[in-house]
Amino acid sequence: MRRIEGDWFPGGIPDNVEVQEGAYIETASSFSRFRSLRPSAVRMGKNSSAYAGCMFDLGPDAELDVGPWTLFNGLWVIADAKVSIGAFGLISWNVVVMDCYRVVHDIDARRRQLEAFAASRDLNLLSRHSASDAPRPVVIEDNVWIGFDCCILPGVRIGSGSVVGARSVVATDVPANCLAAGNPARVVRNLGAEERQHG
Amino acid sequence: MTRSDPNICWDSGPLPSTVRVGTNTRINGQHAFRRIRASASDALIVGSNTTIDGVQFSIGPDARVSIGDYCCFTAAVIMSECRISIGNYVLIGFNAVIADSDFHPLDPAARIADAMACSPAGGGMVRPKVAAAPVVVEDDVWIGPGAVIFKGVHIGRGAWIAPGSMVTRSVPAGTCVGGNPARPMERPD
Repeated sequence: MRRIEGDWFPGGIPDNVEVQEGAYIETASSFSRFRSLRPSAVRMGKNSSAYAGCMFDLGPDAELDVGPWTLFNGLWVIADAKVSIGAFGLISWNVVVMDCYRVVHDIDARRRQLEAFAASRDLNLLSRHSASDAPRPVVIEDNVWIGFDCCILPGVRIGSGSVVGARSVVATDVPANCLAAGNPARVVRNLGAEERQHG
Repeated sequence: MTRSDPNICWDSGPLPSTVRVGTNTRINGQHAFRRIRASASDALIVGSNTTIDGVQFSIGPDARVSIGDYCCFTAAVIMSECRISIGNYVLIGFNAVIADSDFHPLDPAARIADAMACSPAGGGMVRPKVAAAPVVVEDDVWIGPGAVIFKGVHIGRGAWIAPGSMVTRSVPAGTCVGGNPARPMERPD
């Protein structure tokens, strides 16, 4: 556990979180739901940043890999397997990236799960999956910009250079170098020569 | 329960007199009860064994909110001017919103009056009537992160609301909806 200087939150950064040179984590409150036991649970790449409001809600077997220069401003990662985010990513407020729904579909089994959770408040009880709701890793490639309030759902891959409009819900893969938006998100257009010329 | 229940954690100390909470229920939220404007002793009733990690309640003068047993909410926003009833074993994900009112009138002239009445300088002007209709969330419903449930919606038992859904119409029991506006869909596994 490493304390962050001046942090208002009483906790620290867990030992299995690698914070590379120049990377910044504003507050350890982002780890208040963090339970991963993986030796390398989180890798915050060089010069990446995670500001207050981020939440790394990682179950016991989850990993999060963040490339260099990627910026999170209030991202919620809900992971029980793996979320990978490449370099130069821009992830806005209240974006949820989830590799699992954490829902037991059988209602009686879910009731037992919630009763056990109320007795212990052990968040790991909510990270147990049956074969039908197994987590599916999420991959966000390099240089992806995700607007505020988006949800990126389990199993999705977003190609490099793409942009996801605000409040979109991304349920299927997004190819590289395009603009996707909507709920459910669809490709609106390609980001081609014009954008490269005029920024 | 006592007013100094260690299970209740918000930034203004003891539980307000308008809130009743059952045994072994935990509520954690910096501004959880700050926007309760109701004065009734049962404006907000939360059952037993429920876990609410992050929440903001906004409850108008004549509104009532009830939440059942064994629910689990994460950073939810519950805004009531009328009646919101949430059953047992309901799961609500991060940043989901349930609102039973339009908050402001649609009519432009009435909206000007409302803007003035809402201002701290409004001097006690009476707000115009705003459309509101009760929201019911039955037992065993799952509401994904970022979903919004609007006024008059009745969500049947065991329904599944996909993350980011904008739910403007009632959802039959055991079904799955998603999208904006939310429509029936196949439940993803």
